[in-house]
Amino acid sequence: MIVVEELCVSYGAVQALREVSFRAETGMITAVLGANGAGKTTLLRTISGLKEPSKGNITLDDHSLARRKPENIARLGVGHVPEGRGVISEFTVEENLRLGAMMAKVNLSDALDEQYQRFPVLGERRKQHAAKLSGGERQMLAMARALIARPTVLLLDEPSLGLAPQVTAQLMHTIHELCASKSLTVILVEQNASTALRIADHAVILYLGRVVANDAASTIVADEDLRQHYLGKVE
Amino acid sequence: MKWIAVGRRPTITAGLIVVAVMITSLVASSVRDGVAVGVALALAIAGGATLTTAGLREAHPVLARATLTVVVLDVALFATYFFSSVTNFNLAIGAAMSITLLGLSFLTGASGQISLGNSAFMGVGALAVAIWANHHSSTPMVATLLLAVACGAFVGLLLGLPATRLRGPYLAGMTLAFAVAFSAIVNSFTSWTGGDAGLQLPTAVTPPGWLSSLFNAQTPLLRVNTMWLADITIIVTGVAFFFMANLFASRIGRAMRLVRDNDVAAELVGVSLSRARVIAFMVSSAYAALGGALWTLINNSVSPPTFSLALSITILSLVVIGGIGTISGALIGGVIYAYSTNVISWFTQHAGINSQGNLASQLPGIVFGGLLILTMLFAPMGIAGAVRRLWARRRD
Amino acid sequence: MDAFLTSRIISDILGGLTNGVIYGLVALSLVLVWRSTGILNFAQGAMPMIATYLGMVVFAHRFGYWPLVAIAIVAGFSVGGVTERVLVRHLYGKPEINPIVVMVGFLIVLEGVAAAIWSTSPRGIPNPFSPIDWQLGGKPIALSPFGVYEIVTALVVMISVAVLFRFTKLGLQLRASALAPEVSRLLGVRVSRMLTLGWVLSTGVGTICTVLVASNFFTGLTPQVMDGIFAFGFIAAAVGGLDSPVGAIVAGVSIGIVLQFVGDFVNSNAIIITALVILILSLMVRPNGLFTKNTARRV
Repeated sequence: MIVVEELCVSYGAVQALREVSFRAETGMITAVLGANGAGKTTLLRTISGLKEPSKGNITLDDHSLARRKPENIARLGVGHVPEGRGVISEFTVEENLRLGAMMAKVNLSDALDEQYQRFPVLGERRKQHAAKLSGGERQMLAMARALIARPTVLLLDEPSLGLAPQVTAQLMHTIHELCASKSLTVILVEQNASTALRIADHAVILYLGRVVANDAASTIVADEDLRQHYLGKVE
Repeated sequence: MKWIAVGRRPTITAGLIVVAVMITSLVASSVRDGVAVGVALALAIAGGATLTTAGLREAHPVLARATLTVVVLDVALFATYFFSSVTNFNLAIGAAMSITLLGLSFLTGASGQISLGNSAFMGVGALAVAIWANHHSSTPMVATLLLAVACGAFVGLLLGLPATRLRGPYLAGMTLAFAVAFSAIVNSFTSWTGGDAGLQLPTAVTPPGWLSSLFNAQTPLLRVNTMWLADITIIVTGVAFFFMANLFASRIGRAMRLVRDNDVAAELVGVSLSRARVIAFMVSSAYAALGGALWTLINNSVSPPTFSLALSITILSLVVIGGIGTISGALIGGVIYAYSTNVISWFTQHAGINSQGNLASQLPGIVFGGLLILTMLFAPMGIAGAVRRLWARRRD
Repeated sequence: MDAFLTSRIISDILGGLTNGVIYGLVALSLVLVWRSTGILNFAQGAMPMIATYLGMVVFAHRFGYWPLVAIAIVAGFSVGGVTERVLVRHLYGKPEINPIVVMVGFLIVLEGVAAAIWSTSPRGIPNPFSPIDWQLGGKPIALSPFGVYEIVTALVVMISVAVLFRFTKLGLQLRASALAPEVSRLLGVRVSRMLTLGWVLSTGVGTICTVLVASNFFTGLTPQVMDGIFAFGFIAAAVGGLDSPVGAIVAGVSIGIVLQFVGDFVNSNAIIITALVILILSLMVRPNGLFTKNTARRV
């Protein structure tokens, strides 16, 4: 479980997050929604340690995460798939995965097999350079790379970006299934609210850095005003 | 430096100054006093005139720069009359070096390219003067200097063409290789260049008769000669700096800065990247050649081993310490070059370090290198930049 | 072809090979530091030089050659690590000219300090390898036991570095830290340690190279011992491509052999001029080096 308390983050004079508080429960998908510039990516980057908050706290179970280095936060079991996926194009698929498995105390070949079973396409292309993968395949690689280290928390930044609808649907299904089977804490940032709300249990809406809604996903979906105001059209 | 604009009034004033000097020197009993008084008068009028018309500098920027250059040259030439020959010699060497520094400063600051080969370009200019003078001793000095500049520009073109597509470390590598190869090239044509021993000028540069007559008969010849050399160098430096200031502000200069900052944008706007870079390279090598040429005149000889990679590194260091991309930085660098050995030996003596020992001989290098590191880490804009920042902060 | 010419050619190839592996090692260490931290280390010859002096000073010929070498290498690792932590840290992300100027300044300071402490007189380093060339048919063929020692050592180092980078966890982390530092941190890689390690390794390789050069009976150890060799190594790295270890080695060895022929059949002045021409030509063909994978420019 991740608890965010009164988090304030600024870039110089610009305040990106103002007193953001919410909980992301274990075994549940918490969607973070809002328009461009609302602070969603900043939120994930602060949780994973790439950005230091000016005020507030983030706790992972018993550990305080704020002001820790990203590599140490990752070693605590937080997997962050960043904006743009962060796949290393110059590496092969397998090298990307090996990198992900670095910090985990797992048997490498078993861990690799597990990911190749879950994402057969990666298994087929394991020796190819990541630069040759399609958008959907890159997303799978990024997820597999995050999963191979057996994280307890998964931070996903716009995984559906640039993907065709069927691929997105497949991806969301995979995320949902993973969260349930492995009891992960998933924080899912999406600009496309409807995609996220279909699989989310809980949702937080950010507007100009502030939390304007923090409720069960079903409640948010039912609230017309909320949807109109902050999320645009939601089907 | 702040350029002060002028209008029609100071132009007339400038004309009056010239007339005043001529009359005073003709009328005064002792010519020496006459010159001194005349120059002092000229300075007073010039200073007064330019200060009272301080205002918009957009009106006639070129004329403004010209006037300021003339005023500064006035002061400098006046001063050389009273300096000792040692001081004049150092001044001349430093001024010539500042021309080279200005060229590199322009290359790095305005067009973002690194060059470790400027000592070789200095050598090109220096050798050009010496070789030409040995075969055609009657050519006027100005023509020989222009020839040296042309040679420098030509070699700059040869190296600048392949350099256009190169990024930082590769460009540094290529210019470094050139600097190292220079002595080998010189030694391949010893019949022309005199190899490591170098060449002497067939006739020393001597002042014209009217200047020598300004001095008392007892003044040693060396004194007059070095003053003359210092004066020539200072005038050439003034002209070179004047050109550079105008180039920097011109369309070409602006284009180069655009190439430096954002070459993709520059291409979109229609600036030819290669052309801008090559021109910058040629300008910097031409300036370096001019500096080297002046050294040959001052020293009355050229010694190719002087133009080594170590000198290139020194040049780069002085540009950095003085301030990249600034005109005043080049002048500061020139002064440092002229006096650094003096300062360090003074320090060695007073700090009780054995002047014959290892430490003493290595101290200039250690201090220099240390200064370079500290400047780059803590004041990357050099002395000129630091002063400018202090000035700006004062005003706020 | 008469015997004299044959032995001359063989001689040039072997002599060039011996020089070439040294240039290749220098080029390799430059590539190591460039690939791992994006900095061009102008002091790549001077830092190992100091380490070699330290090794020599600590042992002062009392314990033999191999302990001296070991101490020098350890000193090399330390010099590299300390330099990265104290000096180079501040240079990441700055304009290209900053690191070049700082490392040039560092080079000047190191050579000055070494000369101030140990003077510029060459010091021999006695070693168990004879520098006398073997003979083939009565003519010396520019290969001695010492030459073989140089070639074998260089090959061992090159292969070890290749193995390290391609097949080990550490190598993977080093490469990842250079290519994608932020993502690597998110995957638990201690990127700043990897950067330091990049300098440690490259200075270590440089020190092995410097020890080889300084152990040469005809060279000896001086503060300027690596100056000329650095220039050729740099040229080799630029020709091969600063991001290509293979390019560095191939270019180094090839240039070494070519220049040996030039020096023999033309004259000694032509050596550096040829190197300059090779450099200009190869950069005109491929501005980022002949073996580089980096042909596109990021917009």
